[in-house]
Amino acid sequence: MAFAFAFLLSPLLVVAGGALLLMLAEAFTSKRGRGDHGDRASGLALGTTVVFAAGFAFSLGVWLGDIEAVAGADALAPWIVIDRFTIFFDGILCLGGAITSLIAGGYLPEHKLDRGEFYSLLLLSTVGAMMLAAAGDLLTVLLGLETMSIGAYAMTAFRHTSKRSAEGALKYFLLGSFASALLLYGFALLYGATGHTDLAGIGEVVKVGGTHSPMIVVALVLVLVGLAFKISAVPFHMWTPDAYEGAPTPATTYMASVVKAGGFAMLLRVLFTCFGDKASMSWSAGWPPMLAWIAVITMTVANLIAGQQESVKRMLAYSSIAHAGYLLIGVVGAMHSMPQASATVLFYLLTYMVSTAGAFGSLVLCGSRGMEAVSYEDLAGIGRRHPPAALAFSLFLISLAGIPPTAGFFGKWFVFRAAIDSGFYALTIIAFMNSVVAAYYYLRVLVFMYMREPAAGMTTSVPMRSGYVTAALLLSAILVLLLGIAPSQSLDMAIKAASIFGSS
Amino acid sequence: MNTDFVIGQAYFWICAAVALAGAFMTVIAKNPIRGAMGLLLMVLAVAGLFLALHAQFLAAIQLIVYAGAIVVLFIFVIMILGPSASLPSPTESDDSHASPPPSRGLGLGTRTFGAALFAISSLAAMWFLIRAMPALPASPKERLLADTPADFGSIEKFGSILFGPALVPFELSSALLMVAIVGAVAVARGRTRADLVVRNDKGRTNPQNAAAATGPAATPTSPTSQEAHS
Repeated sequence: MAFAFAFLLSPLLVVAGGALLLMLAEAFTSKRGRGDHGDRASGLALGTTVVFAAGFAFSLGVWLGDIEAVAGADALAPWIVIDRFTIFFDGILCLGGAITSLIAGGYLPEHKLDRGEFYSLLLLSTVGAMMLAAAGDLLTVLLGLETMSIGAYAMTAFRHTSKRSAEGALKYFLLGSFASALLLYGFALLYGATGHTDLAGIGEVVKVGGTHSPMIVVALVLVLVGLAFKISAVPFHMWTPDAYEGAPTPATTYMASVVKAGGFAMLLRVLFTCFGDKASMSWSAGWPPMLAWIAVITMTVANLIAGQQESVKRMLAYSSIAHAGYLLIGVVGAMHSMPQASATVLFYLLTYMVSTAGAFGSLVLCGSRGMEAVSYEDLAGIGRRHPPAALAFSLFLISLAGIPPTAGFFGKWFVFRAAIDSGFYALTIIAFMNSVVAAYYYLRVLVFMYMREPAAGMTTSVPMRSGYVTAALLLSAILVLLLGIAPSQSLDMAIKAASIFGSS
Repeated sequence: MNTDFVIGQAYFWICAAVALAGAFMTVIAKNPIRGAMGLLLMVLAVAGLFLALHAQFLAAIQLIVYAGAIVVLFIFVIMILGPSASLPSPTESDDSHASPPPSRGLGLGTRTFGAALFAISSLAAMWFLIRAMPALPASPKERLLADTPADFGSIEKFGSILFGPALVPFELSSALLMVAIVGAVAVARGRTRADLVVRNDKGRTNPQNAAAATGPAATPTSPTSQEAHS
C-alpha cells in the first residue's frame, strides 16, 4: 500500500526530490567553481530540465498504469486526490517547467542573472502547482497556491537592479496576497456554512440546497474573485501587464504557462467539486452567468488593450489575459456538457502553454545582453537578418492567433465547438470576433519582422546564441505542430482526465 | 441566561473591539512605531479570541510567534532604519499636537472613512450571514457548536492531529516554507555579477576592487553593496 501511493505520487515526489538535490548540488559546487560561475548555472539548467523530464516521464508512466485499479489510492484522501485529472496536470506542469528552465538556461547567463536560486524557485514553485492540481481539501488548495505564488513572486523580483522588476514584483505580491486573502475569506465562510473542509464534503452539503443560503453564495463570490485574480481575468488583471513586463522573461514564461495552468486546475477542481451540482451550475441560480460575463469582459478588454501596446512583451501579457477569457468559455460550457467542455479546457491549456512558452522563448532569442527585444521596432527586419528566430516566433504567434495547422487552432476549435454544442451562440460569436481582433496584433509582429526595416540610426537587437533556448523552441515547435496536425490522441487524454468530474 | 454566557459574550466583544481598534490604529498611524504597537494590540486580542474558542495552544503560539517574534522584528527594522523611518517628515515630527496641513488631513480623513466603511460593511455582511445561518437545510450549526471534549485544543490533541490525520498538509507545508526561504534569499541577497561588472566599469579598477568583483557572493553588509542598494 505504501508502494501504491508512492507510485501515484511519483511525479510530485520526483520534482520535489530533484529540487532539494539540485539545491544541495548548487551549494556544494559553488565553493569549487567560483571562477566559472556561468558553467555551473547552466549545468543547473540542464539538471532542472532533466528533473522536469523525469517528472513528465513519471506522470506518463502513472497515466499508462491503471490508476483506478491501484489499491490504497485514496490513502491520502481527502488531502490529496490522485486521479487522471491530477496526472494530466502533472504532465502539463512538468512540460511547462521544462521549457521554462531551458529558456532560463539561455537567458540568465546572457543577462548576468545566473544565480542558482532561480532553478530552486522554479522547481519548488512547480511542486506547489502540482500540489494545487492534486489538492482535494481547502487546506491543501491554499498550501499549494501559496507555494506556487511565492515562488513566482520571487522569480519576478529576480533582477535586483531593475526598478521595473521590483515594481512588477511588488504589485504582483500585494495583489496576489490580496487575492489569497479573499480566497481564504471565502474558504472560511464555506467551512462555516458546511462544516467541511474537504471539497467533496462541501459539494455534498451544497448539493442539498446550498444556493439558497446567502452564506454559501457570498463564499462562492469571494472564491470566484480570488480565482479570477489568480488566473488574471478582467477586472482583476491589473497586476498582470506590469508583472509580466518587469519580470525576467523566463519568469514571465513561467507565469504565463505553469502558474496559469495551476490556477485553472484549482478553478476546475474547486468549482466542479464544490459547486458541481445541478442548481449551482444552472444559468438562473448558479455561477455560470457570472463566469460568462467575466469571460466576455476579459476577452474584449484584453484584446482591445493588447492591440495598442508598443511593447511585444506587454502585448503577450495582454494576450495571456485574453486566453484566460477563451478558457473560461470552456468552463462555462461545462454547464451543459460536462466532460466534453472541461476536456476542451484541458486541451486548450496544453496548446496555449506550448505556444505562449515558445513565443516568450523566441522573444528571448531575438535579444541579447543590453538590448533585449522589447518593442515592435526592436523586431524590425529580423526576418531577413536572422531567419530561424523569426520563423520560430512566427509559428508560435500563428498558433496563439489560432490559425491552422498549429496547436492553437484546434484548441480554439474545440472550445468554441463545445460552447456551440451547449447553446452559447452569443458567447461563441463574441469569442470568435475577439480572436479576429487578436489576429491583428499577432500578425503585426510578423509584419514588423518581415516587412519593415529598422529605422536609420536605431540600434538593432542582435539575437543571442544559446543551445538551451534553441532546444526550448524546438521542443515547443514540435509540440505545436504535433498538436496541430494530430490532436486526437491528446484530446482523448484530456477527455479521460476531465471525465472524473462525471456528468452530473 | 446564565452568568457564564454573559461573561463569555462580554469577553468576546471586548477582545473583538480591541482587535478592531488595534487594526484600525495600524492602518491610520503615521508613526510606524505606533502602527507596530497597534499591530501588537491586534495580535494580542486575536490570541484572546483563540482562547475563547478552546484553542489554548494556538493562542500561545500566536503570542510567541506573532507578538514575540514578528512584531519585535518589525520594531527592530523600524529602529534600525532610524529616525527617518519613524517620522513621516521633519516638519511633521510632532503630529499629535500640531494641526496637520489640510491636504494631509483630508488624506487621513479619507483613509479613516474608507477603513470605517469597509469595517462597518463587513460587520453588516457578517451579521446578515449569521442571521441567515439557520435557514440552511442541513444546518451544521449544532454540530459545530456542540460541547468540545475537555482536551480539545490541548497540545497533545493538537500534536496527535498534526502527525496523524493531518500529516499530509503538515508535510506539504514544508514545501511552502522552503520556497519562502529560498525566495527571501533570492530577493534579498546582495549583488549579481551584473552589478559588479557595472560597478567595475564605472571606475576605480584597483586590485582590491577587482578581487572583490570576482567573488560573486559578496556579503550584503559590505559598504559597497549598501551603496548599490540605495
